[in-house]
Amino acid sequence: MTATATKGTSAAQQGRVRTYVQALNEALDIAMGRDPNVFLLGEDIGEMGGDFGVTRGLWTKYGDDRVRDTPLSEAAIIGASVGSAMVGMRPVAEIMFADFLGECYDQLVNNAAKMHYMFDGQFKAPIVVRTACGGGFGGGPHHSQSVEGWFLNVPGLVIVAPATPADAKGLLIASIENDNPILFLEHKALYRVKGDVPEGYYTTPLRQAVVARAGRDVTIVATMKMVHEALAAATELSAAGIEAEVIDLRTLRPYDETTVLESVRKTGRAVVANEAPKLGGLGAELSATISEACFHDLKAPVVRVAGLDTPIPFSMVLEKYILPGKEQIIAGVKQALQ
Amino acid sequence: MIPDVETLVDLYRDMWLIRAFELGLEREFKKGNVPGMLHTGLGQEATQAALATHLKATDCFFPDHRCHGINALAEEKFGGDGERIMAELFGRATGVCSGKGGSLHSANPKVGNFGDNAVEGSFMATVLGVALAWKMRKEPNVACCIIGDGTVGRGEFHESLNMAAIWQLPVLYACVNNGYAISTAVGKAHASADIVDMARGYGLPCVQVDGNDIELAYAAVHQAIEHIRAGKGPYFLEFKTWRWQGIFSGEFRPPAEVKYWKDERDPIKLARERILSRTDFAGADLDRIEAEMKAEIEHWIEFSKQSPMPDPAKATANVYVGWE
Repeated sequence: MTATATKGTSAAQQGRVRTYVQALNEALDIAMGRDPNVFLLGEDIGEMGGDFGVTRGLWTKYGDDRVRDTPLSEAAIIGASVGSAMVGMRPVAEIMFADFLGECYDQLVNNAAKMHYMFDGQFKAPIVVRTACGGGFGGGPHHSQSVEGWFLNVPGLVIVAPATPADAKGLLIASIENDNPILFLEHKALYRVKGDVPEGYYTTPLRQAVVARAGRDVTIVATMKMVHEALAAATELSAAGIEAEVIDLRTLRPYDETTVLESVRKTGRAVVANEAPKLGGLGAELSATISEACFHDLKAPVVRVAGLDTPIPFSMVLEKYILPGKEQIIAGVKQALQ
Repeated sequence: MIPDVETLVDLYRDMWLIRAFELGLEREFKKGNVPGMLHTGLGQEATQAALATHLKATDCFFPDHRCHGINALAEEKFGGDGERIMAELFGRATGVCSGKGGSLHSANPKVGNFGDNAVEGSFMATVLGVALAWKMRKEPNVACCIIGDGTVGRGEFHESLNMAAIWQLPVLYACVNNGYAISTAVGKAHASADIVDMARGYGLPCVQVDGNDIELAYAAVHQAIEHIRAGKGPYFLEFKTWRWQGIFSGEFRPPAEVKYWKDERDPIKLARERILSRTDFAGADLDRIEAEMKAEIEHWIEFSKQSPMPDPAKATANVYVGWE
């Protein structure tokens, strides 16, 4: 695990404000412009521009061949991506909702992730699978899940999950250029989030977490929407004299242990915040790693903030009840400080 | 196009290479020298030989569950090393995948072998991408995927045929219908025991052929490949055949059925009769061909046994590309 640039900031700060969706769109446009082997495929991504508008305008610019509408055939979408990557293409597939990944689980887990290993390096599968995940908008049980836990136990797969527009762009370009199969998670609540996005081509390094906010008292390790919840929590905690350090993990597999552990060694307290259910999730993995590596530095047990152990219900009242947010993180920090 | 007699003799040699490979492998498996599971292509030699002889090194094939034969033929044909297919089955460092793949995950892109996948039907989706890339780049290659009758039950079968049809991809679907998916008869598992009936709705040419008749199998593959190379889109071939291997616990099929297929429908025996009946047959020592292939396979087995086991530390290599 490389540890360089872990103290870096998100590439940004130019006053060029874009939404997360616009940032992703720019990344695709730039990657397609630079490499004729990059092409897009998925459901309604062509003339319509995708369910969330991420591919808007690209069909007009690049045409049917490179912005390819597909039937509702997720296994064929990912299979076709893998096959094309085996012979040198750089496909970017869109799976409309992460919940549909069940339809192509085999293609990702048994095919894409194992291709390089089981044939001992003779093939690689440089695919990017973009998908919209996460709850909070009344999408119900099949349009709202956080799925990273389904894939954490899969060697060979990379899971990338940007929290900001600038990282969305830089990480997507980096993912397209990377030779490994990458599951690229886009939390739906972030699509309209705005932030500074540098113009033109740049990449944000994979496998590197970022310190989104420095602090001395407690480390909060968060992902995707929970990064924003953690930053909001940190602002409130600061008013009470508690300075939280917020780490945005950015790549969830393989993740940047170094940045996490360095921070926890400094603060002596850790809260891990993730939207998915607690049992067997990313929070469990982070908590275990922190406890193993920093046991003697910890002043209190690691606290996990997670979704309740249920499917995602439809009614907004029910959904709000089961999903974690700022309040749960504040409560978690207070527990870690006891 | 029915093969000329020289081609027929070459195919006879190819079929004997497959049979000798599988018989030798079966023997070594029973001795405990081959780990894992064993799925042989005995009785299906004609389909594999007919396919292999039509493919170029620049084409690709995704081999089926009983694929040692075509894997070895591709190695031989394109200057590779057939013994490395055998060594892979022995789990040795000299195997085509250095012992990481084994029987059901052997690949070598240099000879067009894009790898089996032990999740039946999975590569029916993968083949689409290879064909799509070639079509987008205007490379006139054929992407072939070889499947069994059981695979027809998979969703990927339907997703693949549909997508290949709407995008007119250069895919050859070669379905080896040997009558059973492990123990389940094809007529019990599928709406039709004739797989072409299942494929026809997708609007691609669907042809059923006697997979134990090397002349007919050759002619059918020839026509399919010509169609695809001419840019006319995907093609579906169903080979009606029968596998000699029973199930793990032994033979489960009626004795009369076994006797019929082994005695009267042995593809190698049929091919031999066909060659000898050809008026243009100038004479070749068919017994010698058989002996040569058996000797060659014994050499491969010996090579495999003498090959070193992989270095255990290599087990963690190549999980990610470019990352430790």
